[in-house]
Amino acid sequence: MNITMTIILTILGLILFTAALFLLGLAYEWVNRKLLALLQNRVGPRWFQPLADIIKLLAKEEIVPKGVDSRLFIGLPIFALAGGLTAALYVPIAGIAPAFSFPGDLIVTIYLLSLLTMCMGLAGANTMDRFSLVGATRTLTQLFSYEAPFMLAMLGPAIVAKSWQISVVADYAASRWFILTQPIGFLVALIGLMGKLELPPFDAPEAHTEIVAGALTEYSGRGLALFRLGKDVELVIGLTLVAAFYLGGVANPLWFLVKTLALLLVLAGLQSLFARLRIDQTVGLWWRFGTLLVLVQLLVTFLLQRFIL
Amino acid sequence: MATSKVSETFVVPIGPQHPALKEPGHFEFTVDGEIVTNAYVRLGYAHRGIEKGAEGRNYIQSLYLTERICGICSHIHATAFALTVEKLAGVEAPPRAQAIRVLVAELERIHSHFLWLGVAAHESGFDTLFMYSWRDRETVMDILESLTGNRVNYSANVLGGVKFNVDNEQADAIRKGLEFLEKRAHHYLDVVINEAMFLQRTRGIGTMTRNQAEVMGAVGPTARASNVPRDVRVEAPYAAYKEYPINMVLDTRGDVEARFVVRIKELFECCRIIRQILDTLPPGELTTRVPRKLPEGEAVMRVEAPRGELFYFIRGNGSDKPDRLKVRTPSINNFTTVIKTAVGHQLADIPMILSGIDPCFSCNDRMVHIQNIHKHDENWMTWEELRRYGIEYYRRIRK
Repeated sequence: MNITMTIILTILGLILFTAALFLLGLAYEWVNRKLLALLQNRVGPRWFQPLADIIKLLAKEEIVPKGVDSRLFIGLPIFALAGGLTAALYVPIAGIAPAFSFPGDLIVTIYLLSLLTMCMGLAGANTMDRFSLVGATRTLTQLFSYEAPFMLAMLGPAIVAKSWQISVVADYAASRWFILTQPIGFLVALIGLMGKLELPPFDAPEAHTEIVAGALTEYSGRGLALFRLGKDVELVIGLTLVAAFYLGGVANPLWFLVKTLALLLVLAGLQSLFARLRIDQTVGLWWRFGTLLVLVQLLVTFLLQRFIL
Repeated sequence: MATSKVSETFVVPIGPQHPALKEPGHFEFTVDGEIVTNAYVRLGYAHRGIEKGAEGRNYIQSLYLTERICGICSHIHATAFALTVEKLAGVEAPPRAQAIRVLVAELERIHSHFLWLGVAAHESGFDTLFMYSWRDRETVMDILESLTGNRVNYSANVLGGVKFNVDNEQADAIRKGLEFLEKRAHHYLDVVINEAMFLQRTRGIGTMTRNQAEVMGAVGPTARASNVPRDVRVEAPYAAYKEYPINMVLDTRGDVEARFVVRIKELFECCRIIRQILDTLPPGELTTRVPRKLPEGEAVMRVEAPRGELFYFIRGNGSDKPDRLKVRTPSINNFTTVIKTAVGHQLADIPMILSGIDPCFSCNDRMVHIQNIHKHDENWMTWEELRRYGIEYYRRIRK
């Protein structure tokens, strides 16, 4: 009886958690779109637009094109979203302590976040469409360019906190603003997040003036809705991670909102400032500057820890 | 207009329907990874039969028809038609009318270049510049609306003159609008030549040498960005350009950045000319009488549209309808340059190169004329046969 209750409660909790995360993700997508619109002198969408888009997409027919592995075609969006949702379990979203936690969950979370990009690349490579194929190549190329610096930037605070467990690092960072001691790491993490989410100027993988919708060109209906939800969830997780590690932690829901929305404002500003980078320029930027800078910072952190502190 | 045969394997098709294209056209880019190795263009998806349509209408009706060839440079088409008809009729519009024609043409150029600035920025993913330049473009649209009553097809011309006058109040409103536009244009010039991320997408992209531009017959700002001094307003001044001479804007580099710079600098030139016209608008009549029936004969006219040289030919047959109207729009000349300069660039640069010529697709769509009409093969039909084929075709599919 007791075990059954626990199981039911856990499942109920998971469903509620997922639903809340979806709504949070959609709300953040709206904030991002609205801020970008205001910065670009546009009106922007109404508050329920992302939700309405998802409902509309879910209600639409899902067309499976010829020449694809249909199991993969249908399964990949589910995998992508599942990866994002699983990652959310290890992250202190909305200032609430993570549901699960174990030493080394930082690495697992970062890998789970990459699952979305991997799935998108595979989804593009799975179809016969030429725009999808070019988009998939670019998606995966971009993955290889920002992934390493993003991970190194996340490791900066972890090394100082001497733990690769998100909750421990977050607790350690709660009293210290790592943005002050590791500004390069913060910048790389934030811009890496933009690369991860394929936000402009890193939107070459889905540059619609060149390759329509990139890897997701053939997706419609449910598959597209799930990929978009996955991205929204990843936006929330990414912002939470950066805020928790670099901006003095997300101790309670209010601080969470203030800090993540402030980050989103910065992201929107960066999105509106630049022209789209070509994929070779993206790779060049990350490996020539991003990775090197963050490595230098890691080295300095190491040395300081070893010999001074 | 195939430049070479496409035989390689991985071809990225752009169009006829594609988010980068605002009008239908078909491009095939053969790519090796991200590098374009071959390019092919096919036009003709929006052929509207306007030249043929003009033959069934009288000159006054045709004026409104030609104005609808292009939605962006509508006034210059009507001006070219009116000037050609006036040449054929042997009359000349009064100086005030000619000055007002130039005034509207230059306002239209401002609107067209601002529009292009936005489109080209959008192609490079710089949507902020797109939104801002289109917001500022509203100013010139409002000016045109207050002058002519219309935002797009101004219908400022009549045969033998213009429809409306410009009073002092309107002149002041235009001056005020120009002040704002000029300030904005200075800002955009600053962005275009100084913004590092944007320069990565424009500098050294789609470079066309002066020799290439001359060989391929490029016209308009595309040619002037490659240092080809080609501007009908200077070479063969029409309307009131003799009284209000233009300083040609040239650039030596020939890449997409140079095209940005040339077009934005032309905006300053437009503002200068408009101010000069407003200050020294000649007094007098607005129209002169043009006979309803035009004599037999031929007339040609060249004008400078925002995209380059626009060519009109009219053959009159003594009636009130043209025997033949021929229009050559500037984009047809510039399309070859896209095909030539695209090869060797990255796929991501293609939208920039394509939009760099400010293409206008439906303007230049035309019928193919088969030279050897005496040789009767199955691909060739008389008008009567075509009509019969059409009737039978629709009868067949209705069953």
